[in-house]
Amino acid sequence: MRTIPAGIYTPLLRSTKAAAEITVPAFQLDERPVTNAEFLAFVTANPKWRREQVSRLFADSSYLENWVGDLEPGPSAPADAPVVRVSWFAARAYARWTGKRLPTTAEWELAAAAGYDRPDGKNDEQLKRDLYAWLARPVPAVHAAAASFRPDFHGVRGLHGLVWEWVEDFNSAMVTGESRGDTGLERDLFCGAGSAGAKDTTDYAAFMRQALRSSLKANNTTTALGFRCAQSLP
Amino acid sequence: MKTPLAMKTTSSTRLTTRNVCHTLYDKRSGWVCGLLLLGAVTMCGAEGTAGACCAAESAEKTSRPACCEAMASGAFSKNSLYQADASFTDDTGRAFTLGQLRGRPVVLTMFFASCGYACPLLVTDMQAIRGRLPAEQRDRALFVLVSFDTVRDTPEALAKYRAQRGLDGSWVLLHGDGEAIRELAALLGVKYQQETDGMFSHSNLITVLNAEGEVVHQRTGLKGGLDEAAQAVLRAGS
Repeated sequence: MRTIPAGIYTPLLRSTKAAAEITVPAFQLDERPVTNAEFLAFVTANPKWRREQVSRLFADSSYLENWVGDLEPGPSAPADAPVVRVSWFAARAYARWTGKRLPTTAEWELAAAAGYDRPDGKNDEQLKRDLYAWLARPVPAVHAAAASFRPDFHGVRGLHGLVWEWVEDFNSAMVTGESRGDTGLERDLFCGAGSAGAKDTTDYAAFMRQALRSSLKANNTTTALGFRCAQSLP
Repeated sequence: MKTPLAMKTTSSTRLTTRNVCHTLYDKRSGWVCGLLLLGAVTMCGAEGTAGACCAAESAEKTSRPACCEAMASGAFSKNSLYQADASFTDDTGRAFTLGQLRGRPVVLTMFFASCGYACPLLVTDMQAIRGRLPAEQRDRALFVLVSFDTVRDTPEALAKYRAQRGLDGSWVLLHGDGEAIRELAALLGVKYQQETDGMFSHSNLITVLNAEGEVVHQRTGLKGGLDEAAQAVLRAGS
């Protein structure tokens, strides 16, 4: 794991009463997303998380669909590539099994704000080019190995440009509150323009992450959604 | 509400009640087992959810009766929320797992006690749903409030809220830690976020669970839908 130094996370979208800045204590983050090989060890040891046994409540019908079998990832899911098609519940169970946890949104975004060679990624032109090139490409049938990605300033690989990643508090993103009318937030946040409350409207990728998180249900799995684990420092 | 038998009894007592329960369960139905346990173990009182658990019409008739090990793996249906690991504390300070609600229709809402706008309306709506039920169903259904506020809504604060709102024994008020709340919210599809003033933005969802803990209905928002929710409770209890 790599240590991410303490820092300030500025939420992208917030209501008038939400914190403008969140102080994030230093924490540890996996150097790369969890791989198919690692997830195979997890489902081998925990049969209730195998594809054929998992409850639909905890993972939808496309859970690990790219694997050949319950205990056989196969050619579409190379051992060293990030595991995808995993639900939030499954990611969380894996993290607990390893004695870790999922990172919070604030932690993940703080880590992902780093550039390749500098702490402020938003001023790293190469990182931005790589990130937007990735966003423009369709999801590959087979994901690349995380270890092949260039490490960032903190020594973390693949936060951008590999797969989307679950966070512990994904269900704090309330963009959908508007259309469902089920929260009190929309009055503060969404009066016609979804980005009106945005801190930095130029951070297009952050909007995409926010939109993805707010669209997800905890049992959803997708072709490009994986996870990595975090740990608090003692 | 009541604590599961296995958590409050001593190990020797637990062994005894299990043995008794096994014997009776093998000969008769889970109902008999449950009623006898209610009589034999004082902490399993008349209104106790442990009693409700004992009375559960177990979908899977395993060799181990659901009344004795409500949280045994495989005991709950594939879509039952009661499979979740999360543990809570009720407003009397006793440990509580959602599996203890098994056997009765449940109307469940996530809220926080210091909420000044939506939550009082949600609780009032839950009371209105209860008021729409025929008397026998009214006493059978359980109304559960689970707080987002892990810091302020201690069991004591929830007990105070119960008194303020005049919530009787058919209401279960639960406090949980951050992980338990996050997991339950994820299962229900509830989104929430704490604001700087300590209040929470949250989905307004009233969820109806059947006796197995499966979601059978959700009322979204703050307006209307009470008849439909009451009908769902009736169907869940039939």
